[in-house]
Amino acid sequence: MSTTQERILTDAVREKIRGLLPRYPTKQAVTLPALHAVHDALGYVPQEAVVEVAELLELHPAQVQDTLSFYGFFEQEKPLGRHRLWVCRSLSCAAREGEKLLAYLCEKLGIRPGQTTEDGRIRLEFAECLGACDFAPAILADDTLHGNMTKEKIDELIDSLE
Amino acid sequence: MSTVIIDEHEIEIPEGKRLNVIEAAQLAGIEIPRYCWHPGLSVAGSCRMCLVEVGTRDAKTGQINMMPKLVPACNTPATDGTVIVTQSEKVQRARAMVEERLLVRHPIDCPICDKAGECLLQDYHFQYGEKERRADLRPFTSRRRDIGDVTLFVDRCVMCSRCVRFAREISGTSELMVINRGSHEEIDVVPGYPLSNKLSGNVVDLCPVGALGDKDFLYQQRVWFLARRPGICTGCATGCSIWIDENQDRIYRLKPRENLHVNKWWICNDGRYGYPHVHDPRRLAGPKRREGGRAVDVDWSALPGELTEKLRGAGRLAAVVSPHLTVEEAYLLCKLMRELDPKAVLALGPVPTVGQHETFPGGFTISAEKCPNRRGVEEILKHFTNGVTGFEQFLGQLEEGEIRCAWVSGGYRNDWIDEDTAAKFHRLDLLVVQDLFPSPLSERATYELPAAAFAERDGSYVNRGDRLQSAPWAIRPPAGVRVEGSLLWELLDLEGLYDARAVLDEMSLEMAYFQAAADDLPEVGIDLKVNLLAGAGSGAESA
Amino acid sequence: MSAFEPVLTANIHKDNSHTLKVYEAGGGYRALRKAVKTMAPKEVVDMVRASNLRGRGGAGFPTGLKWTFLPEGHPGPIYLCVNADESEPGTFVNRIQMEFDPHQVLEGTILSAFATRAAAAYIYIRYEYPQCHKRMQQAIDEAYEAGYLGKSVLGSDFRLDVTIHRGAAAYVCGEETGLIESIEGKRAWPRIKPPFPAVEGLFRKPTVVNNVETLANVVHIVDRGVDWFKSIGVPADPNNPRDPGSYGPKLFGVSGHVNRPGCYELPLGVSARELIDEHAGGVWKDRKAKAVIPGGLSTGVMTEPELDTAMDFSALQSVGCLGLGTGCMMVVDETYPMIELLHNSCRFFSHESCGQCTPCREGTHWAVEIIERIKAGRGRLKDLDLLMEISQSMGIIPGTTICGLADGAAWPIKTTIVKFRDELEELIKQTNPVGYAVTDPVDALEDEAHRNWPVLGTTRPYAASTAN
Repeated sequence: MSTTQERILTDAVREKIRGLLPRYPTKQAVTLPALHAVHDALGYVPQEAVVEVAELLELHPAQVQDTLSFYGFFEQEKPLGRHRLWVCRSLSCAAREGEKLLAYLCEKLGIRPGQTTEDGRIRLEFAECLGACDFAPAILADDTLHGNMTKEKIDELIDSLE
Repeated sequence: MSTVIIDEHEIEIPEGKRLNVIEAAQLAGIEIPRYCWHPGLSVAGSCRMCLVEVGTRDAKTGQINMMPKLVPACNTPATDGTVIVTQSEKVQRARAMVEERLLVRHPIDCPICDKAGECLLQDYHFQYGEKERRADLRPFTSRRRDIGDVTLFVDRCVMCSRCVRFAREISGTSELMVINRGSHEEIDVVPGYPLSNKLSGNVVDLCPVGALGDKDFLYQQRVWFLARRPGICTGCATGCSIWIDENQDRIYRLKPRENLHVNKWWICNDGRYGYPHVHDPRRLAGPKRREGGRAVDVDWSALPGELTEKLRGAGRLAAVVSPHLTVEEAYLLCKLMRELDPKAVLALGPVPTVGQHETFPGGFTISAEKCPNRRGVEEILKHFTNGVTGFEQFLGQLEEGEIRCAWVSGGYRNDWIDEDTAAKFHRLDLLVVQDLFPSPLSERATYELPAAAFAERDGSYVNRGDRLQSAPWAIRPPAGVRVEGSLLWELLDLEGLYDARAVLDEMSLEMAYFQAAADDLPEVGIDLKVNLLAGAGSGAESA
Repeated sequence: MSAFEPVLTANIHKDNSHTLKVYEAGGGYRALRKAVKTMAPKEVVDMVRASNLRGRGGAGFPTGLKWTFLPEGHPGPIYLCVNADESEPGTFVNRIQMEFDPHQVLEGTILSAFATRAAAAYIYIRYEYPQCHKRMQQAIDEAYEAGYLGKSVLGSDFRLDVTIHRGAAAYVCGEETGLIESIEGKRAWPRIKPPFPAVEGLFRKPTVVNNVETLANVVHIVDRGVDWFKSIGVPADPNNPRDPGSYGPKLFGVSGHVNRPGCYELPLGVSARELIDEHAGGVWKDRKAKAVIPGGLSTGVMTEPELDTAMDFSALQSVGCLGLGTGCMMVVDETYPMIELLHNSCRFFSHESCGQCTPCREGTHWAVEIIERIKAGRGRLKDLDLLMEISQSMGIIPGTTICGLADGAAWPIKTTIVKFRDELEELIKQTNPVGYAVTDPVDALEDEAHRNWPVLGTTRPYAASTAN
């Protein structure tokens, strides 16, 4: 289906996916790790990538797409911003002003959860319990968990993200 | 033998049979409601409509211990001593609960939904549902989505996942998927990979509600106006059992009829949509005689006498016996020819073949032979002629010039004979063509007789697996058409009206191959070969 | 009982506690060595059985007993899945374990794989724990190098491969068969049971799924013995032969309106009140607790007078809670409106419901619809009865759903309405003085209106489906 010219997955990503195959007895089991590999590399998983992953794993594209869409995690329209901010909305964080902080962030960045800022810098999401209840309210910014958030700390965090 | 107690019934389950509670209940005449379970698909257990109470009865003491929680009947085996309760208050409340949940977000589409009248959501609502709505009111109609061979009304879906399982397990094509999670789930296809396979129409049968719609049948007819008649598909040598849904002699759709020996619950799209030709206005409309190049209408009442006279004096007779004829019609045609001319040439009509047999992962097979009765006609020819003369061979015999008169039966759905082949019939003094559509051959015919379509005739076919299946006529033919069997019956000077069953009776006495057809035929037909072998074959060949 | 000495969190305050060097210096892998070199797998199973260790992930099923469900003499391969999907709201203790003592988790994994004769182990770590991914992978790499993993563990003929499998933000992947389906690359729809995972699990092979904290306990049972383990916690009820007791240490999380939210390792059986007042610094701002969720959102709420209940596997049911759950407590004070707790809970479960079975998929959605209408000032008293009925109709306890997510969704609704009915009725009457007594169905909220909630809708918009 896809020619080398039109291929969206780089050789590096393909190699990474193939490298996972020996760890599982079925190819289908590599679906989720493969989706992560693509998402990490491209910032999203476009339609064409779904097809290519399916080809690599000898699945029908529908078998990859349905798994992908089950997890609200994967973006499909266009690349995420440079930074992805997950703001927890579960009970302990909500009880410690978490929702107000999310509202503050939305106002500050001018976007709603599920959207990216115009300059492509920040993608905002709400998260279900981040497992950081010991420092609620918490925000997961890329790979770092930030706890005990306040408006001031949010300002600091936003400033620190390029 | 295992004993299962279901409500007030005690039923025996034969040794070796592994049944779930739904199937066991069916043996007792009890239908447990369900959306997602289907005998031909894997068990999902997700709709929760089939919840029942089960327990066990101690074999020695007879004491019954019921389990405290409800279980899904589809995933519970019915083994010796299983006790099943389907009518308790707990079960009734569970059914009402599931119904109510499904209706909370269901669009108010009944007035515009094809499925009304054969919809499980409707049926179970009346049987088990609550009288009043308690959920908030948000009337809306369903979004519609084109997913390929069928159309999808997204919001009517109850997430039974039958269609997805069908595409994965039976057609093996996996185009359908469930996207998103929770109450946002929808059925969809990947753009560029629509639902497109030869068995795709079956998902509409499977859908318990009106979510999946047949593009051919959509908005054509309300199902309560349809009469449902049993039939047999004549599209290929698989011979699927079908239902013919008609209203006032017009077919609106064909559906597969359950037959575990042939097609199970399925039918291919060619078969499913293989009825438009029946109502094609191009069909031959009335008998005609050609004299001096002009076609003249003939009266059906005068025709038999005229034909018999002409055939008697015609010299060497021949008949081309179409593999679209029923075994009864084929037998009568051969018998008639041989009565008129003991040396009449009997040949098999062309057997249209397309590609190879195609078997799908679920086991369903589409035959390469696109006619229903080659097996049956062959055996009849062997009986009369000790061999089978193929069509090519017959054409060769035509060249030799001995044959003076031929009776050619057609009944094919598309063009089956070209100008060059038709030209080979030029030497004949008398040509009778009995066919559905005009063709280069019918244009040469001395007598052009309109044939009846498959749904208009009584009779039996023998499929590729030596299974004989019978079906009565479902619709009346158009006014100027007389079914083949009726004409042949009269030409043979038989008393009364055409009686296909009587013909089959005679055949079962005359021919070892048809021996097993002597008794009443089950709806699923009968395997002639098995019974032939069992009855210590008398020299007849098996396929 | 002697003074309790933490074992699960003994290392976490050490510098570089996550490294092999520090772990081994503290006695790490001693238990594994003992098992592989001197014990047969069955002996390890027997020890865990005798200890009555119960699963720490929420269900509390006796671990050793679960291991015995694996079929004898099966050609295999047998799989061990480590459930590190920790997504139960309020729960964060596995995170601490994996971040600060990954080797303990790993040792527990390897030991348990040895006992169950597993050929491969998959550690399913939720996406939201990136630091845990890093640290666990580091630990695994170190373990391979040191001979604790690979073709020949500690020179024996026991071989094990461990793979980390990254989740993608779905709570239902914490359900054992949902986890299995997720590893297999499919939608995480939990499976109908039977068959159970021990018979037919991952890739249709015999599989054991265990929680992180449970596996860490295995290390200490093997290291210090069954008697030691049973000296901690609450003994089995002598009058009830089926009661396995509540033995061993537990990592209790406390969060919400307390002065010192955190993870506290204590023997099972400590009271909720003691946990809050003596360990977590008491309710903040000098207030009193209004509602306490004992063990993760699924367990429902306790009221202030009920706080003397013991945090173990059997006492919490007596105050109407689902059970101990994860043992991670959330506290809200007297100023917190219960409608918010209800909304937060129902929204969570509706978002996380996998969607395959009708009562959960539709019930959780309907509950959110009702609650949002109440918050919009159009609630009816009847809605509370409706919510009660919805909650009572779904779950594996009545048998109406495939998995326990529905029970988890039901319990907060049930307990909140039963225990705080007056407050909710008052709210409805005050915010809808005209219509609160109506019993007929009312119009649903317009989609626009309820999307105007400060920032959040009920769910995240999903990827667009194919056009009409």
